[in-house]
Amino acid sequence: MSAEVKGPQELGSEVGGRLLCTLCGACVGMCPYRVAYRGRIVVLDECNLSEGRCYAFCPRAPVDLDQVSQVVFGVPYAADELGTLQEIVIARARDGAIRFKGQYGGTVSALMSFALREGFIDSAVLTSSDERLLPSGTVVRDEAGVLACAGSNFVASPTLATFNREAATDAQRIGVVATPCQALALAKMRVSALEDGNNIDKLKLVVGLFCTWALRYEEFVEFLGERVQLEQITRVDIPPPPANVFEVYTDFCRVPIPLDEVRRFIRPTCDFCIDLTAELADVSVGSAEGVEGWNTLIIRSGAGKELVEAAGAGGAIETAPLAKENLEHLKEAALLKKKRALRNIVDTSGNTGNLLYLKLSGEALERLLA
Amino acid sequence: MGNEAIARGALEAGVGFAAAYPGTPSSEVIGTLAEVARDGEIYAEWSVNEKVAMETAAAASFAGVRAIVAMKQNGLNVASDFLMTLNLTGTKAGLVLAACDDPSALSSTNEQDSRPFAKWADLPLLEPATFQEAKDMTRWAFELSEEIKNVCLVRTVTRVSHARGDVLLGERTPPSKGARFVSTSPVEFASIPAPLKHHLMRQKLDKAREMYESSPFNWYVGPERPELLMVTSGACWFYSLEAVKALGVEDRVGILKLGTTWPLPEKLVQEHLARTERVLVVEEVAPFLEGNLKELVGENVAALGPLTFYGKRSGHVPDSGELNPDAVIRALSSVLGVEKAGVAPEYAQKAQELTGAHTHMRAIGFCAGCPHRATFWSLKNALKLDGREGFVTGDIGCYTMALGPTGFFQLKTVQAMGSGVGLACGFGKLAQAGLEQPTVAVCGDSTFFHAAIPALINGVYNRSNFTLVILDNQATAMTGFQPHPGTGMTAMGEAVPAVDIEGLCRSLGIRVEVTDPFDLEETTQKLLDLMRDDGAVRVLISRRTCALVRAREEKAAYEVHVDTEKCLGDNCGCARLCTRVFQCPGIIWDTETGTAKIDEVICSGCGVCADICPASAIIREAA
Amino acid sequence: MKEKDPLNVIVTGVGGQGNVLISQLLGKALVKGGYHVTIGETYGASQRGGAVMSHLRVSRQEQYGPFIPEGQADVILGLEPVETMRVLAQYGNPGVIVIANSRPVYTMAVTTGLAAYPGTEEIGRTLEELSSRAWLLNATEIALEMGASILTNIIMAGALVGSQALPLRPEELEAELRESLPSDRLDLNLKAFHRGLEEARRRGAGS
Repeated sequence: MSAEVKGPQELGSEVGGRLLCTLCGACVGMCPYRVAYRGRIVVLDECNLSEGRCYAFCPRAPVDLDQVSQVVFGVPYAADELGTLQEIVIARARDGAIRFKGQYGGTVSALMSFALREGFIDSAVLTSSDERLLPSGTVVRDEAGVLACAGSNFVASPTLATFNREAATDAQRIGVVATPCQALALAKMRVSALEDGNNIDKLKLVVGLFCTWALRYEEFVEFLGERVQLEQITRVDIPPPPANVFEVYTDFCRVPIPLDEVRRFIRPTCDFCIDLTAELADVSVGSAEGVEGWNTLIIRSGAGKELVEAAGAGGAIETAPLAKENLEHLKEAALLKKKRALRNIVDTSGNTGNLLYLKLSGEALERLLA
Repeated sequence: MGNEAIARGALEAGVGFAAAYPGTPSSEVIGTLAEVARDGEIYAEWSVNEKVAMETAAAASFAGVRAIVAMKQNGLNVASDFLMTLNLTGTKAGLVLAACDDPSALSSTNEQDSRPFAKWADLPLLEPATFQEAKDMTRWAFELSEEIKNVCLVRTVTRVSHARGDVLLGERTPPSKGARFVSTSPVEFASIPAPLKHHLMRQKLDKAREMYESSPFNWYVGPERPELLMVTSGACWFYSLEAVKALGVEDRVGILKLGTTWPLPEKLVQEHLARTERVLVVEEVAPFLEGNLKELVGENVAALGPLTFYGKRSGHVPDSGELNPDAVIRALSSVLGVEKAGVAPEYAQKAQELTGAHTHMRAIGFCAGCPHRATFWSLKNALKLDGREGFVTGDIGCYTMALGPTGFFQLKTVQAMGSGVGLACGFGKLAQAGLEQPTVAVCGDSTFFHAAIPALINGVYNRSNFTLVILDNQATAMTGFQPHPGTGMTAMGEAVPAVDIEGLCRSLGIRVEVTDPFDLEETTQKLLDLMRDDGAVRVLISRRTCALVRAREEKAAYEVHVDTEKCLGDNCGCARLCTRVFQCPGIIWDTETGTAKIDEVICSGCGVCADICPASAIIREAA
Repeated sequence: MKEKDPLNVIVTGVGGQGNVLISQLLGKALVKGGYHVTIGETYGASQRGGAVMSHLRVSRQEQYGPFIPEGQADVILGLEPVETMRVLAQYGNPGVIVIANSRPVYTMAVTTGLAAYPGTEEIGRTLEELSSRAWLLNATEIALEMGASILTNIIMAGALVGSQALPLRPEELEAELRESLPSDRLDLNLKAFHRGLEEARRRGAGS
């Protein structure tokens, strides 16, 4: 059963009004009514349509998880810790320069550079930030472009707005580096009957990122700006527990900020998110706990497998097995996120029959909450 | 036109000086005199506001030159501070104040009856009922004013001022050329000592009352002892006459038409009241005549006997809005219990059936190519992007329409001239009370000179936090494109240095930016920037000539058409942005092709719509 | 119809169409012809795309007020179809003569998709049902052919005079045009006026 598609008014009340918006940007870049501006989705005028792509693509508007899973993987939603996958390994870029610029092992940068170089895709939509940490989507076509976007800053970015705009040009093969909510939105685009069939077919590759939460831009940057000169920041990082610190690196020093102080700026919607590992991507990449300088790499779809194998053979990345212990930790973390989110959802809705935006079988729900 | 008749009456009385601020329905009085003034005999000016206009005219009177000043009801409010001291001071040469009311507020932000001002200020009042009277009364008003040495009010309404009719003209009298200011006593031209002057002022009024008793401007038609006496004044005279005829009750109803309505010609009025037992008072807008008649009756109850009054207080005449023959017919019919033979009900019903679906209100809005539409579009976007729930305080002019869809509902307040800036001064100091929303005030260029400058200075001096957007379309557009200090032209057609709004604002030591409203992106960005520059007053001048003025002076900049292949219309991605939201009347929806279409008759060729179309389907080509 | 006193004429249209100019020209010509004329108009805000209505009261005997009572119009000259319908509904009667322009000026409700504008056929039928004689002219199209849409009102004035619904001869209004209009635009306006007269002739003026 597919989710009913409604329009921008309902999007405002069901998602915006309930603070569920993730700022993924999927609802923006297609019309003059909605824009993403400084960490907010701004509605400039009222669109009076009763059905719209904005609603259809939104990862926090009703989503039938089986349906999206079918269209991406050909199987129903796994409803387990890590989602549909073929293999999990650890990986890193072979090129030291890429590893230096990238996060942990630089795997995402290496894969995207490789994909562009070898023609898997001819443009890539990544995320970059300005000197005041404002992130937004960027279209790149070569390694230099990829490296310029390397590294995360943990602030939500409306990157899919850029994808929407790129898909409306004559680009033919597009790759996207996506957070879990963004990967879900891209999957909804493939499902949506409203989508102009041609555009989403241009999406050839989704590299997902592990994500625990994302921050609200304006308030976080104001907070950060009181502690550090924003323009001097070179990198930020959240080391694995038990560190509990938000590391800010500038040209001159490292400023550790207690993570609890930063948590205040988490987008409320993240408490309602069941996806740690970007379950609807072709491949998903995150940190490798306890293995410094490497990434955890989850290979999910056929296209993902093809890319990883070619990248390995082509000398862009190297892989190695993931230790069983680390796999268990990852599954625990993923399940924890699911449980917490589902509990928040049920608390908000008031009954287990109403999962707000999720369509999940009762059996799966019980299993996950157990 | 009634206003032209007033102007003519003034010329026939030898007026030498005329001043006003444009205001519907008064503008044509001085507009006409300004045209005449070009032959050099008299002087006429557009003053920055009605108080100054009144003051300049008083100067002429003090110096022995007959003067006239004209204003709408709100203008009288603005001038009232001076009027309430001028009345005590007294005048020398005749000084006539033409007060032109706008019942039903067809072109005003309030509905107000100016006649009580006369009673309040102890000044004589005249109300012309016909165009001939508009001329003759104005001419005589100068004589009256000189006889009693005080201002004389001539009050009209839209349906006299702006209606036209044939008038028999008299001879023009040349104006005085012996102007001289001579003060024969220390307080001759002062309003003090007030109690003494007040007493003298009331004596002047008594003199006027005497003169009124024999005035040809009061007349009676009807039977000797009418069953019902209608007492009326002004435009209501025609309606009353027509109502009596329509109901065929000429033998039962008499009409006492008063032209001299304050002070009342008490002997004359009592004569007529004594001959009847029922009185219907028909007037616009307040029960002024009605109240004064009842006061008179109250003082003379013994002689007049019991009288039953019908009018606004009894509910027979509507208590607000302008009147018309049909309203008076209804009132009369209800008092007399007589049915009106109207249009055949079958016709009325057929008409309703055939036309009812289509005759919804025709909304007014900005003209095609109006720079205000573009400014408010940018303002709407900037406020949304800013995200702090900022709001706009408004003022009086064409841009007042931004209360509605034509200005995207951006304007949130409208009261009097300059009030938007005054309100912004207040909102801008409420941060300490917890207000976090940015305030934006808008006012037009003419409004700026009229009343906004003191408020702006107040904001700078008291360090209020707001942005002022001056909508400079180089015209006093709503009232008919009269020139003002910023346009570089006077009422008499003389080219003068234009007052530099930008320079004036900069001299206050504040941040001033200028933008072209047709550049939507630049204007939005500047607005965002200014709104975020919290702390003190800042000004953005949004400058582009009014569309109607442009149409007269230049040819269209662009030829605009819609590429129907590209137009997305009803589809997701557009949802008719141009016709449904932007709402320029030059763009219409073609139901046959399901796309937007440019109406070549209405489109002004400004090309702004090409910038908002999400599909780039609106094409503009340099004309 | 020529004997009626007062003769009540309504000129209606949308702000900017120039109906005020027409009513003034007619008024002045009629005054010169020895009639008392009163014209009541609505100015100001209504010019910004709102409805504009001029009431003309024409009488040999006396001056009348600026408002025509409901249901008492004798002649309606409509520069815009829906405005003509609006006026008919309030001031019409079975005997009224209607001369209307066919070109719509859409209301914002129509252009924003909230309402539908009646089709030409429906307009024609409505005008005919509610009058004793109704003409629907493509005056704007003719004006555009002649080079400027602003000539529409003069063409309509020509049709009105040609219909003989007013006690006004063509020469009288032509004289008024010559006197009132600026010389550089006179030729074109006279042409437009005569086109209007022609339209009336073609429809059997005076019948």
